Amino acid sequence: MIDVRNLCKSFGKHEVLKGVNEHIEKGEKVVIIGPSGSGKSTFLRCLNLLEEPTSGDIVFEGQNITSKQTDINLVRRKMGMVFQQFNLFPHLTVKENIKLAPVKLKIMTDAEADKRALELLERVGLPDKANSYPIQLSGGQQQRIAIARALAMNPDVMLFDEPTSALDPEMVGEVLEIMKELAEDGMTMVVVTHEMGFAREVGTRVLFMDGGNIVEQNEPKAFFENPQNPRLKDFLSKVL
Amino acid sequence: MTILSLEGWLATAPAWVTGLPDGLQWLAFQLYQTFIYQDRWTWFVNGLKITFLVTLGALALGVVLGLLVAILRTAHDSQRAGKRNPILGIINAVCKLYLTVIRGTPMMVQLLIMGFVIMVPKTDNETLVCGIITLGINSGAYVAEIARSGLMSIGAGQMEAGRSLGLNYGQTMRYIIIPQAIKNILPALGNEMITLLKDTSLVSVISLRDVTKQAQNIVANTYQAYVPFICLALIYLVLVIILTKLLGILERRLRASDRR
Repeated sequence: MIDVRNLCKSFGKHEVLKGVNEHIEKGEKVVIIGPSGSGKSTFLRCLNLLEEPTSGDIVFEGQNITSKQTDINLVRRKMGMVFQQFNLFPHLTVKENIKLAPVKLKIMTDAEADKRALELLERVGLPDKANSYPIQLSGGQQQRIAIARALAMNPDVMLFDEPTSALDPEMVGEVLEIMKELAEDGMTMVVVTHEMGFAREVGTRVLFMDGGNIVEQNEPKAFFENPQNPRLKDFLSKVL
Repeated sequence: MTILSLEGWLATAPAWVTGLPDGLQWLAFQLYQTFIYQDRWTWFVNGLKITFLVTLGALALGVVLGLLVAILRTAHDSQRAGKRNPILGIINAVCKLYLTVIRGTPMMVQLLIMGFVIMVPKTDNETLVCGIITLGINSGAYVAEIARSGLMSIGAGQMEAGRSLGLNYGQTMRYIIIPQAIKNILPALGNEMITLLKDTSLVSVISLRDVTKQAQNIVANTYQAYVPFICLALIYLVLVIILTKLLGILERRLRASDRR
């Protein structure tokens, strides 16, 4: 579904990604972990071109999205993204946040989007918050709305950029629960996180990034119980 | 043109006026010849029409021009180093030149140059258009910087969230960034509107008959400056108070999403 070939990204002279190769299949739940500065967020943000790669190719559903001929806006409709800081639109109500993109992009009529928004609010457990403004919600609730907003576009893959890192500890669980349900429904997911429990339980494959490369990857059980790379062993000894 | 005298007027004035103390008799006479004699209140009304037309026209032009410049400058500034679009670079340079020239020269001088060098209007309508364009261009420079501060006050995450949903740059600006920016710049924009309203008093230098010019005309006819100019000040004061109230209402409405 997503094929990444020799992906490089530099910010000025600083090389963040040094030729990453990766293949993500439909239905996989790929969890990316690694120390800060290892390039994991940059890698994720390259997948929907929020960061423009310096070189390399990203092929999504058979289409090379790094090519100049590709309309990235059409590609992004199929790739939902959830941010660390939620990034809800503060001037719009919860329902308007969810409806905005489908209606303005003329994918749904207002009435269809309305129905879809209420379904999604039901799904993330916040049906009574439709007419609230983001500022009136807790961090965990805001992130659940952000997930609903991304799902409103019916994406083929969901990208999560440290979705629980800005949350109070007691709110982490409710967001992970929604993500788990999403995984069970068969959504393809790429998740950058520090939640090792989630990686172990929900992930179908865990990647360890360090210094701009994927240095080790495995299915979760073997990944956590039998790490090979010394840097991964060191990292796991600190976080587990 | 006959010039009234206080004594002459009192001889024909109603009895309740002649019964007043001297000072108030004088004030009543001044008010009479400022507003009532020869229907001079209509001069104020006609002047106000011009003042309103110039203010509204310049405001519309200034906001459109200012927003445009602000968006272009923000688009230029938000580019990544090393990936700059050369066309945006040229546009940005033109915008900066505009800001420098307009903010670096007095409005009065700009009016004189537009009125007597560049446009040289012949008819009343042409003069009105000249006034609107000059003030609009002037106001646009200030609105541009106010609007730019508003656009920059919206975090990068909002643009990313909009783009990640498949909206293009323009759609994200229109539906997400600009509505939030407008809310943030409303107090500063209100300030600029008030300044603009009062600065329309300068258009008399290109012989546009706004309310200030009309007050001057009345003074020229009565040789009495006190009442016409004090009343002129009161007219501006009332207009500004009304404008401030309206902006306050608008601001409260836009702040609805901030209430917890």
